[in-house]
Amino acid sequence: MEYKAPVEAYAGVVREVTVGKGKKSLKIGGENILPFHFFDQGSNPNPAKFALEVLDMNPQDWPKHAVEPFQDVISDPVQWAKKCQDFGVDAISLFLMSTDPAVKDAPADKAAALAKEVAEAIDVPLIVYGSGDEKKDAGVLPRVAEVCDGMNLLIGPVLKENYEVVGRAILDHGHTAIAQSPLDINLLKELNVKLSKFFPPDRIVIDPLSSALGYGMEYSFSLIERVKQIGVITKDSMTMMPIIANLGVECWKTKQAKENKEQGLLWEGMTALSLLLAGANILVLRHPETLKSIKETIEAR
Amino acid sequence: MVIIGENIHVIAQAVSTAIRERNPSVIQGLAKAQAEAGVDYIDLNVGPMKKDTEETMQWLVNAVQEATDLPLSIDTLNPVATEAGLKACRRRPLLNSASGKTVSKEQMLPLAQKYNCDVVISVMTDKGMPPDVESKIESIMDTVAHANELGIPNEDIWVDPILLPISTAGEGQRFTVVNLEFIKILEDVLPGIKSTAGLSNTSNGAPEHLRPHLNRTYLVMLERNGLYSAIADPLDKELMRLTRGEMPEIVELIHKAMDGEDIDLSRLSQKEVEYVKTAKVLMGETLYSDAWLES
Repeated sequence: MEYKAPVEAYAGVVREVTVGKGKKSLKIGGENILPFHFFDQGSNPNPAKFALEVLDMNPQDWPKHAVEPFQDVISDPVQWAKKCQDFGVDAISLFLMSTDPAVKDAPADKAAALAKEVAEAIDVPLIVYGSGDEKKDAGVLPRVAEVCDGMNLLIGPVLKENYEVVGRAILDHGHTAIAQSPLDINLLKELNVKLSKFFPPDRIVIDPLSSALGYGMEYSFSLIERVKQIGVITKDSMTMMPIIANLGVECWKTKQAKENKEQGLLWEGMTALSLLLAGANILVLRHPETLKSIKETIEAR
Repeated sequence: MVIIGENIHVIAQAVSTAIRERNPSVIQGLAKAQAEAGVDYIDLNVGPMKKDTEETMQWLVNAVQEATDLPLSIDTLNPVATEAGLKACRRRPLLNSASGKTVSKEQMLPLAQKYNCDVVISVMTDKGMPPDVESKIESIMDTVAHANELGIPNEDIWVDPILLPISTAGEGQRFTVVNLEFIKILEDVLPGIKSTAGLSNTSNGAPEHLRPHLNRTYLVMLERNGLYSAIADPLDKELMRLTRGEMPEIVELIHKAMDGEDIDLSRLSQKEVEYVKTAKVLMGETLYSDAWLES
């Protein structure tokens, strides 16, 4: 008897989110299949996208082999961002580390001005991550949104503790939000429900927190996988958003990545590949060689 | 539905202080309030009990029996305290609770036989909490067989599936779904068996003002699947009205949700919509979040 492979059709569609404006824009999400289930009925119109990290200050704890590709521009975030483009990125992710009260406590105005300068200097969309300090971000991120009015940056993290003030500013100035919750699908949904009361859900990207290989990656994997299943299979409106996996920073914190370059590339590469398989739509990496090898793997070259 | 009133519980500061200070009025007040609310049993949960075990339990049982004639549920993991409680009871009590753990089989179950009382037996074993329906059934069948050998008939056994909080990250909804299924098939595998469940545990961790929604809806769902009794808060008036059949429209609506019928929410009152939404998270149809009523 001839074998016929079953073909599934799903009810849910991940919202297609646009980041950036005009030529400097990209689309993420939009799939109505599970990750890489090209054999099922449906499609993924926007294959995974990749961003590289840029910090707003000299990196403090990066190993030499992570700094090396950017050695000549590491003190200049604008030039650093431009250099990232040479490596074929889809977006740049600027981290406003220096605003962290525990780092330099740099003022919001300075951070916002830099974000604008970087956004204008590059030809790809800009992602802006605050320090993650919920109180400081409540001042910094609205200022970034205001100064970069209308540029449709992808701004976060929007947290349970500050979603009202940060979310409102992102909305009012025409940007897109990264809603972040701590590795918990129930909290993730709750934040999306609350944010969506005043914020259009097709301008939300989920950051579920991405742990590195050997440091809890399986939790991130299961969570991303589940968000996608619940969105695509059961059509839960509050999980049908694309996912950003901000994993470079976590991978390069590990002892293994710091030890030597080859291990670091493998660590970041394996984590990235795993989270892609789980369903991440846009990945933030640190090392350009990881980016290259992941792209080659996906394209099966 | 047989309701065991849960309010005399050491976890409540007032109760633990009253027990320590041997102040009967607080305890008796709670007993009377629960009796007036229409409970069938009054649970006396004294926790693990470290000192003055027998004396404390005797005092508590006597204090409550001065306030009400209702039968008591003696709720402690300490077998010495349990025996003291059972001895002091005037009416046939409920031993709450035994389990499939070796220590419980050796020390608790024989007490149920010795004092000829009803006994709550949970699905717990030495290996911990069985994770799915099959392993829960398997472990409870083992423990019940052991109880039968001791001379305790199925009719005296109240199986406790152990309810866990729905808000537990990721896993909580799996628990509520598994327990609905477990209760549904329990009577088939153990004919004549009774059942009970610590209802309020389901809503533990959910926002305080929303906990009754989960408790009430889950009780109706479990009752439909055959749950015989629940350890619950009888001071929740709406919960008690549901168990007494005084809200048949709501019960019917929850049943429809359980059957997967298409329900047009736009034609329902806000209260009805909330019951339907709550049923859907409890049966795992929509993903739980603390904001489940808002989406």
